[in-house]
Amino acid sequence: MKGAPSTAPSAAAQLNARRAPSRRAFWLIPALLLPLPLWLDPYQQYVANLVLMYVPVGIGFNVVVGNLGLLAFSNVAFFGIGAYTSGVLMLKLGLPWWATIVPAGMMGGLAGCLASVPALRGVRLFYLAIMTLAFGELMRWVYIRWEPVTGGSMGMAVPAPSLLGWSLDSESHKFYAFLALVIVVIIATDRLLRSRFGRAFLAIKSNEEAAAAMGIPTDRYIVLGFAWGGFVVGIGGAMYAALVGHLTPTSFDLTELILQFAIIMLGGLGSLTGSVLGTIIVTALPELFRDLPGFEELAFGVMIVLVILFLPRGLASLLARAHPIFRDRYYRE
Amino acid sequence: MTPLLEIQDLTVRFGGLTAVDRVSFRVDAGEICALIGPNGAGKTTLFNAITGNAPMESGRVLFQGAEIQHLPAHDIAARGARRTFQNGGLFGHLTALENVLAGLHIEVKSSFLGLLFAGGAAKAEAAATKKARELLRLMELETIEDHPASELSGGQQRMVEIVRALATDPPLLLLDEPAVGLAPQMRERLGQIIRGLASERRIGVLLIEHAIELVMSISDRVIVLNYGRKVADGTPAEVRADKNVLEAYLGHA
Repeated sequence: MKGAPSTAPSAAAQLNARRAPSRRAFWLIPALLLPLPLWLDPYQQYVANLVLMYVPVGIGFNVVVGNLGLLAFSNVAFFGIGAYTSGVLMLKLGLPWWATIVPAGMMGGLAGCLASVPALRGVRLFYLAIMTLAFGELMRWVYIRWEPVTGGSMGMAVPAPSLLGWSLDSESHKFYAFLALVIVVIIATDRLLRSRFGRAFLAIKSNEEAAAAMGIPTDRYIVLGFAWGGFVVGIGGAMYAALVGHLTPTSFDLTELILQFAIIMLGGLGSLTGSVLGTIIVTALPELFRDLPGFEELAFGVMIVLVILFLPRGLASLLARAHPIFRDRYYRE
Repeated sequence: MTPLLEIQDLTVRFGGLTAVDRVSFRVDAGEICALIGPNGAGKTTLFNAITGNAPMESGRVLFQGAEIQHLPAHDIAARGARRTFQNGGLFGHLTALENVLAGLHIEVKSSFLGLLFAGGAAKAEAAATKKARELLRLMELETIEDHPASELSGGQQRMVEIVRALATDPPLLLLDEPAVGLAPQMRERLGQIIRGLASERRIGVLLIEHAIELVMSISDRVIVLNYGRKVADGTPAEVRADKNVLEAYLGHA
């Protein structure tokens, strides 16, 4: 991409090879992760599950902010709605956890459509940020006030999760269920972002007027981006319900939003690899400093400053430079 | 014969200002029609009204015989009225090739659900990519296809934007100051390209341009706007001789 342009066939072939390296090697990653729970103690397994749970949360957020380019902070609303949908369906209707995953995603997606309304009305930047932030806060009010359903501020105890009759009673069982879900979410989002849909998202991010002049129905794509983001984050919510077993409104507050925003900022805006990478760093790293009280925040703060200073395009740019296989189709480091 | 594009009494108002005032004209297939006039005459606003980017107060726009003034911009583009932008409308996040692919958006048939459940859009993407490469090659831009648009020179950006606008073989092309910032020899080549589009591919071209020599040498017809009104409409020679035009540019003698 950067080298001297050449039309020689070998150079062109090389360019092609650089453009689209085979990504089958990626399957090594989940394969290598399979025996992971065997090496970890239950607490470390919980941390691993926490990371897996946040991957969809980061991915969905990044589709809206990084790919569509809209500064919408409604992510924590999608997350909470997904979690409560899963919890309520289990507790009140007696559904098994696995049967709540898709409904949780659907409710998140529906919330995404709703959250896209200000953007469709032309609200952008800080105005959009504050309006979508209000959505998250409003949902928190709903969780607190809708006590018969949500359990109010005391929260709701979620029954133990199960998968097709199998009880996911240990952290390692959850790990495999989560891993499978995360793989599906990553593949689906990757397909979406590599297609004309992903290209349309970035066209809208670059220049909305020109995107429309390409025949791209920008409004429809904005709704679609929000809906997909909400869907994926809603699935993350269902995973959260299964992971912690107890839902309280405080889990979906501004601190949570800042954490989620840090995931995509550190990982790399608009990069799917970045969403995964950011999740690992933001959720796992603080746990390393758990025995050193006070250092958790310090490590987190220092890391953010370092990344912004030296890697403004996020950690994904570091990986993309290391090997082209990590390069997102439409993401330039 | 139905004209390719017909504008009838088009008026655009911004608050108290009438930016375009009851303008009517037509553009036929294979015709180059230039829109000239001093700065602020309403040329770009007229463009925006035609392509659905600015709301119009009254009047009609007929494209291939059908009214389009109520349609959103993306529908007008999908019908085959494609445009470039005065300040450069390329997508900076995308490469030159990806910009052309975005121009082919409506031709890349891939459905959302098909994408998720039926193994991606590889086939549709491959066909579009092949076509996009070919289009860039025709304009001798293949060496820059993988460069991010934001890193291209001004001239390259203009050319890529034109390639992108032409990607779907539209019957109508609206060019907003395509020669701005181009070196003289590039300007000449641009003129030849536009001329070729009209005479060989029968594309109707509506052109806003300040480079008056370019306009006079390639246009079939020249329309002069001043304060939002059409003050002249004729062949380059007729317009050159028109005293209204001199007035528009130089003020009252």
